[in-house]
Amino acid sequence: MTLKTRIREVAVVRRDNRSDRILFGTMLALSGFGLLMIYSATRSSGTFSMERQMVFVAAGLILYFVVSNIDYREYRSLIPVASAITLLVLLLVFLFEPVNGAQRWIDLGFFKLQPAEFAKVVVIVALAGLLSPQHREELGPGFVTWTKVAQAMAIVAIPAIFIYRQPDLGTTLVFGFILFAMLFVAGASWRQMVALAVTAAAGVAAVLRFGLLSAYQMNRIRVLFDPTIDPSGIGYNLRQSKAAIGSGQLFGKGLFQPGTLTDFQYVPEQENDFIFTAVGEQLGFIGGILVLAAFAVIIWRLLVIAANSRDRFGALIASGIAAMVMFHVFVNIGMTVGIMPVTGLPLPFLSQGGSFYLAMALALGIANSIWLMRTPVPGENQLG
Amino acid sequence: MKFSVRLSIIGLVFIVMFSVVGLRLWFVQIAEGPAIAQAAENQTWLHKVSYAPRGDIYDRNGVLLATSRMVPAVFVDRTFVDPDEREELIQRLSAILGIDAEQLDAMYEEAGINGRFKVAAVPTDLAYQINEQLEELPGVEIAKAPQRVYLSGPTLAHVVGYLGSVGEEDLEKRPDLDPNLRIGKLGVEGYYDELLQGASGVLEYRVYRGEIIDQKPPVEPEQGSSLMLSVDLQLQELVERALEQGIELSNSIKDERRAEGDEEVFNVTESAAAVVLDAQTFEVLAMASVPDFDPQLFDPGISDEQWDELQRIKALSNLAITAAPPASTFKAITYTVFQEEDLPLPEGIEGVDVENRLVNCDGQLELPDLADGSAQVKKDWYYKRFDFGWKDVDGALEVSCNIFFWNVGLGTWRAFKETPRENILQDWAKRLGYGVPTGVDLVGEADGQVPTRELFEELAEEQRATGKVLLHPSRLEQPSPWLGGDLMDFAIGQGFFTATPLQVAVSYAAVVNGGMVKEPRVARGVVAPTGELVEEFTAPVVRLVSISEETRRGLLDGLNAVVNINAGTPDRGTAWRAFENFGPGIDNVGGKTGTSQLSKTEDPHAWFVGVAPLDNPRYIVVVFIKNGGSGGAVAAPVARHILQYLMGNEPTPIVAGEVAD
Repeated sequence: MTLKTRIREVAVVRRDNRSDRILFGTMLALSGFGLLMIYSATRSSGTFSMERQMVFVAAGLILYFVVSNIDYREYRSLIPVASAITLLVLLLVFLFEPVNGAQRWIDLGFFKLQPAEFAKVVVIVALAGLLSPQHREELGPGFVTWTKVAQAMAIVAIPAIFIYRQPDLGTTLVFGFILFAMLFVAGASWRQMVALAVTAAAGVAAVLRFGLLSAYQMNRIRVLFDPTIDPSGIGYNLRQSKAAIGSGQLFGKGLFQPGTLTDFQYVPEQENDFIFTAVGEQLGFIGGILVLAAFAVIIWRLLVIAANSRDRFGALIASGIAAMVMFHVFVNIGMTVGIMPVTGLPLPFLSQGGSFYLAMALALGIANSIWLMRTPVPGENQLG
Repeated sequence: MKFSVRLSIIGLVFIVMFSVVGLRLWFVQIAEGPAIAQAAENQTWLHKVSYAPRGDIYDRNGVLLATSRMVPAVFVDRTFVDPDEREELIQRLSAILGIDAEQLDAMYEEAGINGRFKVAAVPTDLAYQINEQLEELPGVEIAKAPQRVYLSGPTLAHVVGYLGSVGEEDLEKRPDLDPNLRIGKLGVEGYYDELLQGASGVLEYRVYRGEIIDQKPPVEPEQGSSLMLSVDLQLQELVERALEQGIELSNSIKDERRAEGDEEVFNVTESAAAVVLDAQTFEVLAMASVPDFDPQLFDPGISDEQWDELQRIKALSNLAITAAPPASTFKAITYTVFQEEDLPLPEGIEGVDVENRLVNCDGQLELPDLADGSAQVKKDWYYKRFDFGWKDVDGALEVSCNIFFWNVGLGTWRAFKETPRENILQDWAKRLGYGVPTGVDLVGEADGQVPTRELFEELAEEQRATGKVLLHPSRLEQPSPWLGGDLMDFAIGQGFFTATPLQVAVSYAAVVNGGMVKEPRVARGVVAPTGELVEEFTAPVVRLVSISEETRRGLLDGLNAVVNINAGTPDRGTAWRAFENFGPGIDNVGGKTGTSQLSKTEDPHAWFVGVAPLDNPRYIVVVFIKNGGSGGAVAAPVARHILQYLMGNEPTPIVAGEVAD
């Protein structure tokens, strides 16, 4: 079947199915809200940060529409090529000057590309390809073999090691979480899940035991238990973050109020990883819970899409995306309130950052495509 | 398991994750929210502290000893330093001030985010120069800061003290202390630190985008209270010079002995202390410790080499409040107890007349039945040099006859051993101020140690438990480690007995004033800027010990005999030669020599305690020369020199007295 005929088929299907408007609406609301928050955190230095992010939001929305209209099933054949390109690009970052001690970016002049963000989406698709059958008959209790588990681990481990070397502990952890979630959904046995957990635990133990974490990474974990560590570095960051959120109390201090910690720019990296502190301080517990609720809606829609997918491939992609968004939300907000280590994971749609926003838009676009394509052609046997 | 079930399980896990974050958010914003909000509000206010000048310190005649001067100093306020500018700022300041960049960086780091710190005091012309460059030096300001000025230099250094930075142990004791302050570390500066410190002023303000947007009314700094000491600076200078000459004298005697082939000279004499105490008011009129130091070294700051040197020569320890065996000076106390308590002399000892309370001071004492029953001979300091013959207690004090006082110890041991009265000598000593700090208003006073059976049993216990050698191992085999010989040693101020020169002064003051023990004081009180004493620190009476007038008079006569009797005959006071040229009023002064016998490889400490005037005792003069040799030869001439001054005589040169004790 040529691409042309496939596109025609999509057009036929689209007559019956509509885009997931709740998913899109929530994403749009969060993105707009994010721009407002970025402005509130940076307005003392002008509107530059917000304007820049607006460009990415616009680009992201276009990307979302384009991807929505591509049949996600096409990606299965692209997996080897996409994986190879991704690995290559991940290696390219090591050719560029480090920023703040990390080599995560490819400087394109107008924009610093962070390939690890896109790698997450590629890995999700690759895992879905591995763990879903081409034909319905292959499905059965023994479909996820030990070999497949090993292959899945390899798919995650290779980019994860590159990214870990950048270093970027957070993104490495996201990969682990996605792997767990997708293997479970794909039908891995309890024994396989336990084996995976043991391997992960051994990996963590090895990292700690052999000092593979740098001093600052260790501090970021230790500071959770002892806030006095590194008082002018990460300890300060966490203290200010908690102070900003806590002082918001129930209703918050109000948007753009003078005299807030946000206004005084007391929270380092507020427009980036600590954007939730601007929400917590200005809009309080109510605002924070509404943001959490918006993310819950997105996760809910992603799981509904997974449940309604016409095939196992789509179902797994949607579950993987749900796991990725969930992990980001949990670790990012958890970090700002002092229950998770500071690992550099941004908050989807709210944090400033181009690559991350585009990667998220891409992921949700693919999910919307799965939703659009959910109705099977009569007689189709790919449903898993 | 069906696919939909697996999806639902994942959904449940996600719900749990949302709940965890939501609950934590509730905890931080609702449960802890109000407290966090208060703290957040406070931290947007920055504090700029201006330090108060410390109070002045005067001597008893109003001579200024220490004051504070406001001098320009360079401060850095990190609020106004962009993190990118930090490196350059530190390099520039380092170049201007000549301070190591690494050290500056450490100070910067320590100040913390939005912190403000004092870099250094600077001369006025440099302050003007920096003032002109302020635009290139973000966060830098020139402000006046107090600097301590010690006008008397090293004189009285141990009493005045010095300033230092707040350490961790200071913060433990005074948690509210501003860690940027300079606080008193020794002497009066240390003891009265809170009084002298004053109250820092503060300016609270808020900064927004590098501009001050809001500020509270400033609180002005308040100078600390000024103190007047009881010390007389003129007397103090005389005492310090006398001590230095005493050390020289001691070393010249040692040199002579070495030249004569004497191999029993072990140390070079390096240190000494003296106290002049008012026997009625317990005011300290002079207190010196040699070697001394210049307290100005510590302000603005002492170099590592200077500090190491001070540590090496132990210049910072005040020997006047450091403990050593008081030796024969203690015989005055044993004398008092012997008379007041009618202590018995032992029966059946050759050379002891129990009935007439006489002892034959012929140079050696034979003891028939010590712990193991074997006979033992104890030799006195004048063995084969003099034979003083039969002495009563007055005569024994005069010639410092150990045999007499050993027998007092032995008699007490035999009569009261293992009865409630067995500690009668030690109890008297403690009531007169030994074994506990006198309570003087200085920091770092030693306790001293009064040995008793209880103490020895504790030491033996510890030795058995830890194996640390605290007592001679043979003692542990006895039924009790406390032996008769220990009480005999105690009676002559030796053995495990230690006391500070100040404790010795206090005990003498008490016995010569009729039994009143007070806490000695070096500070008289707080003075107003007009020089008027507005608050007096009266020395509290610790206790009244009952001492009969007869005993007191007898003791004073005995003390006079030590310095003033029978020149040229063998039957003479141990300090007669030192006081030979005292001048008029020799009948009105007294004293007691002491020579602490130490280990076999250490020269003895030389002691002398002087009392004057005897008709109405006012001055107690204690001289202690560490490892200085004989009290009569070395310490007594120093004390005589000081007593001459106190009694209005022209002080004559410090030359060797006669070797005694």
